[in-house]
Amino acid sequence: MKIYKILSWPLMLVLCIGISSCKDELGNIRTEEAEKDITGNWKVIQLTRNGENLSKRLKLEDFKIDFNADGTYSIADDLPFVVSGSGKYRLDDPQYPFSVVLSPTEGKEEVVLKFLFPVVNGKRQLSLVMSLGCSSNTYQYDCERLNGGI
Amino acid sequence: MKKKIHYSTYIYWAMGLFLAIFLAQCGLKAISVVVPTSAKANQRVTFTMHCGAEPRIQGGGNYSTQLVAGIMVPKGWNARKNLTMSFTSPKGNGTMRIISDSELEPVSGLSWHQAAKKMFGIGPNLVDDMEWIVFRSTQAYSFVNNEDIDFTVKAECNVGAENMLVSLGFYIGSSIENLRPEDTDYKKFTFSNAFEVTDGEGDLIDFINPQLGTVQPVKSLDNDIITLTFDGGVTNTVLDHEPAIYLHVKAMDESGKLIAEIRKQTADTKLTDIGGKKYLIDIWPRGFFKVDKDVHIARLEYFYTDITGTKSVGYGNTDEPFKYTFRCE
Repeated sequence: MKIYKILSWPLMLVLCIGISSCKDELGNIRTEEAEKDITGNWKVIQLTRNGENLSKRLKLEDFKIDFNADGTYSIADDLPFVVSGSGKYRLDDPQYPFSVVLSPTEGKEEVVLKFLFPVVNGKRQLSLVMSLGCSSNTYQYDCERLNGGI
Repeated sequence: MKKKIHYSTYIYWAMGLFLAIFLAQCGLKAISVVVPTSAKANQRVTFTMHCGAEPRIQGGGNYSTQLVAGIMVPKGWNARKNLTMSFTSPKGNGTMRIISDSELEPVSGLSWHQAAKKMFGIGPNLVDDMEWIVFRSTQAYSFVNNEDIDFTVKAECNVGAENMLVSLGFYIGSSIENLRPEDTDYKKFTFSNAFEVTDGEGDLIDFINPQLGTVQPVKSLDNDIITLTFDGGVTNTVLDHEPAIYLHVKAMDESGKLIAEIRKQTADTKLTDIGGKKYLIDIWPRGFFKVDKDVHIARLEYFYTDITGTKSVGYGNTDEPFKYTFRCE
């Protein structure tokens, strides 16, 4: 028992030195959150209305939206959406976005869409939540990049 | 240690026995309601609930509780903004207050309003656009054994602007009993006969009777995605033995002027068979009719047809079209 007590002090000392030596290294690791990049050609893979999945009943192949690198977007004519045509977009926070802000070319007001950006089955998914008509009706569009990229 | 377990077992047995006696011999009478058959749009209407308490407390003692009462109405009435409740009884009269959304009903963990909807449902209504609103008396009342009383709860609210046929729900309970699923003594509920709102806006919304044609969501604009359903099981129609059902639809503007009409029997107008003689089609009206940006569709008029377009079914199985008005309130 005495041997253990004697040995435990040097062991604790080594442990403390070890932890304190790691501190600087950990501090040097960059932990800054990357900016979210939503550029690409997106296709809607799932559409829900008030929680009801309409994906199998609608022709989703025509439902596409492009977010371009120059900060512009365009929406396919056949896609029911809160805005139509094209315009400019930005994220409310590039690193920790909660919404996509759309500024339609022909519209007067900015439109704010709730935004999720999860990785599902190894693929980045863009989920947009909006009301198309009455505010009591909520739609969620889950999109994947057309080229299959993440 | 063993002794402690022994004592706690006795305590639980005693509590259980007390509850069993108490629950078995106390309760509320069945509820009856007085509901007018109709009212004009936006009219303020009084709904009356009659009920009673029958305290049978073994071994004497008091039973103190607050009165809880609820009503189920269409969401479109916005009844939370103007509903009031009061009661009269031999133990005194009083007003009631709406129970806050933040206060949870202990058994379900939901708000009292959500808990009431989960417990009682929407009764004979077929379309779920209803809300339960639950009130509680501001004072508690004590009962002694055999102090049977009858009491009356009055609920007053405006009936909303839309024409409709609906069954309303009513609930009376005791605050300390909560909404326990197994309890049948302390929560009494019922649904009214058909109540009609007349002289209001829009087409009649019939919540009660099975409809040949329905539209979901109940409220929408022309940029929403809407689902039109044809229920061939409601009655015999000329489309009974048709292998496929199609939509023939007109879009009208605010003034009633025709914007567009689609009456071709194509894949775009074909309804999907979902079984049970029911068919549906989802459309995005603005895209379906390809209207310009500055054009707004105010309402739809439509029929269901066979593949030739010669056999068609309209509202109530007549030659009149089904009508749907786009509106949010």
